Amino acid sequence: MIQLIHVSKHYDRRPALSNVTLEIEKGEFVLLMGPSGAGKSTLLRMLIGAERPDDGQVFVHGRNVTSLKKREIPYLRRKVGTVFQDFRLLPKKSVFENVALPLLVQGVSSGDIKRKVTEALRAVGVEHKRDQLPVGLSTGEQQRVCIARAIVNGPVVLLADEPTGNLDPELTGEIIELFKLINARGTTVVVATHDPHVMGRVNSRVVTLAQGVLVPEQRVSA
Amino acid sequence: MRTLYYLLREAWANMRTNRTTTMVAILTTAFTLACIGIFLLLYVNLRAAAGWLQDDIKIMVYLNDQTSGDALVAIEQQLRGDRAVAAMHFVSKEQALGEFKAQFPSESHLLEGLGQNPLPASFVVTLSPPFRSPDAVTRWSERVQRLSGVAKVDYNQDWIDALAMVIRSIELVAIGIGVILSAAAVTIIANTIRLTLFARRDEIAILRLIGATTGFIRIPYLLEGAVLGGLGSALSLLMLKFLYELFRQQMRTTGKLSGLDNLVAFFPLSLCLALVAVGMALGCAGSFVSLRRFDEAKT
Repeated sequence: MIQLIHVSKHYDRRPALSNVTLEIEKGEFVLLMGPSGAGKSTLLRMLIGAERPDDGQVFVHGRNVTSLKKREIPYLRRKVGTVFQDFRLLPKKSVFENVALPLLVQGVSSGDIKRKVTEALRAVGVEHKRDQLPVGLSTGEQQRVCIARAIVNGPVVLLADEPTGNLDPELTGEIIELFKLINARGTTVVVATHDPHVMGRVNSRVVTLAQGVLVPEQRVSA
Repeated sequence: MRTLYYLLREAWANMRTNRTTTMVAILTTAFTLACIGIFLLLYVNLRAAAGWLQDDIKIMVYLNDQTSGDALVAIEQQLRGDRAVAAMHFVSKEQALGEFKAQFPSESHLLEGLGQNPLPASFVVTLSPPFRSPDAVTRWSERVQRLSGVAKVDYNQDWIDALAMVIRSIELVAIGIGVILSAAAVTIIANTIRLTLFARRDEIAILRLIGATTGFIRIPYLLEGAVLGGLGSALSLLMLKFLYELFRQQMRTTGKLSGLDNLVAFFPLSLCLALVAVGMALGCAGSFVSLRRFDEAKT
C-alpha cells in the first residue's frame, strides 16, 4: 500500500529524512514515533505529494508519488484521508459543510453527500453537532469532525499527524479507539506521534524515526 | 450542480467578506473603464465623421470627346459591375458646362470665347468603404485609366492621404490609451483578488489537502474578478451615458454647435454589451494574475 525506497530529504542542507526505506501493507495500523523534528511530518507530507524527496521514490496505492504531475496530485489526495493536530476546519462553515467538502470537490451528488456525511459523523459520534460551527465544539469534537472529513470519501489510507497533540489522555484514548475502528474496516492507518501514551493504547507496528533516520522496528501490544 | 452552487456561493462570500475592498475595486475599475470609454466614444464619433468625409471623396472619370455612344455604354456597364464602386452618375459635356457656369458665374465668359464647349463628359464615382485607402484608390484609378474611351481619372490624392493618416492616428491613439488603461484595470482587480486570497489562504491550503483541483480552487476567484470587472464596466457605461446626455443637453440649451448634438452618437447596445464582456474578461485576467502569483493557490 505504501512504499518508501531510499528516500532522503534536506532542508537547507539539514537532513529531514536520510535514506528511509519502509513498506506498509494494506490494512496495517502503523505508529510513526519520534521526537519533534525527527522527520515524521515530512514523511507524511511526502505520502500526499506535498513534499518531494531529494532522492528515492515513494509509492502510495500503486502510484509513484514522486513522478506524479502537479495536476494529478489532487486525485491521489482523494484516496488518502488526512487528520491534523490543529484540525484545520473552516471556521465559517458548519460541521456538515466541513465534512462534505472532500465530496464537494469531487462533484458528488447532493443525495450522496448527505448520506455519506451523515454516516461519517455517526461513525465518529458527532452527528448531533452537524449544524454547529467548529468554534462551538470542544477540542475532542473538533478532532472527531476532522477525522470524519478524512474518512467521508472512503480513503484507502488514513494519515494522522500528531492527532492527539492538543488532547488530554482521556480524549487521546477515544481518538485512538476511533482510528482502531477505521482500521478494522480495512483502511490502512498511519499515525505520527511523539506521545508515548499512544503507544500503550494500540496493538500495532511501531516505526521510529530519529533525526531523519529509521531505527529498528518493534511491535507493541495494547 | 451542488458544486456549481458552492463555487458561486464562495465567490459571493468572498465579495461580502471584503465589502469595502470590493466597492472600492468596482468604483476604481468603473472610473478607469470610463476613461477608456470616453476615448472610445471620441474614437467612434471621429471615425464616423471621417467616414462621412470619405463619402464625399469623388473620383472623376473623364471621357474622350471622341468616345462613341456604344463605348460610353460599355464604360458605364463596366463601372456599374465593379464591386469597388458604391455610387456613380454621368455628367454630360452640357451638364459640366452648366455646373461650371453655376459655380463660377464671373468666369463663364472665358469659355464663351472658345466657341465650343471644352469641358469633357465624365462619370462621378464614389468608391465603397473597403476601397477608400490611398493605395486602393490609386490601383483602381490606374485600372480604369486603361479603359478605352477614358481620357483621365482625377481625384484629390492629398485629401485622401491626409484623411487616411488622421484615421490611422486616431486608431493608434485609441489603441494605446485602451491598452494602458486596460492594464490599470487588470492591476486594480488583481490587487483586490490578492487581498481576498491572502485572507483565505488557510482555507485554500485545506482545499488543496483534501484533493481540490487547481480549477476548483480558482473558479470562485475568477468569478469574483469577472463580477468586479463586469460591474465596473456597467457602471462606467452608466457614467458615460450620463455625461453624454449632459453634453447634448448643454449644446441644445446654449445653442452652440447646434446640430452637432444629433450627429454625436452613444455606443449601440451591441457595443455596450461587448464592453461589459470586455470588463469581465479584464476582471478574469486580473484574478488570473493574482492566482498565478499566489503560491498557495497552486496544486
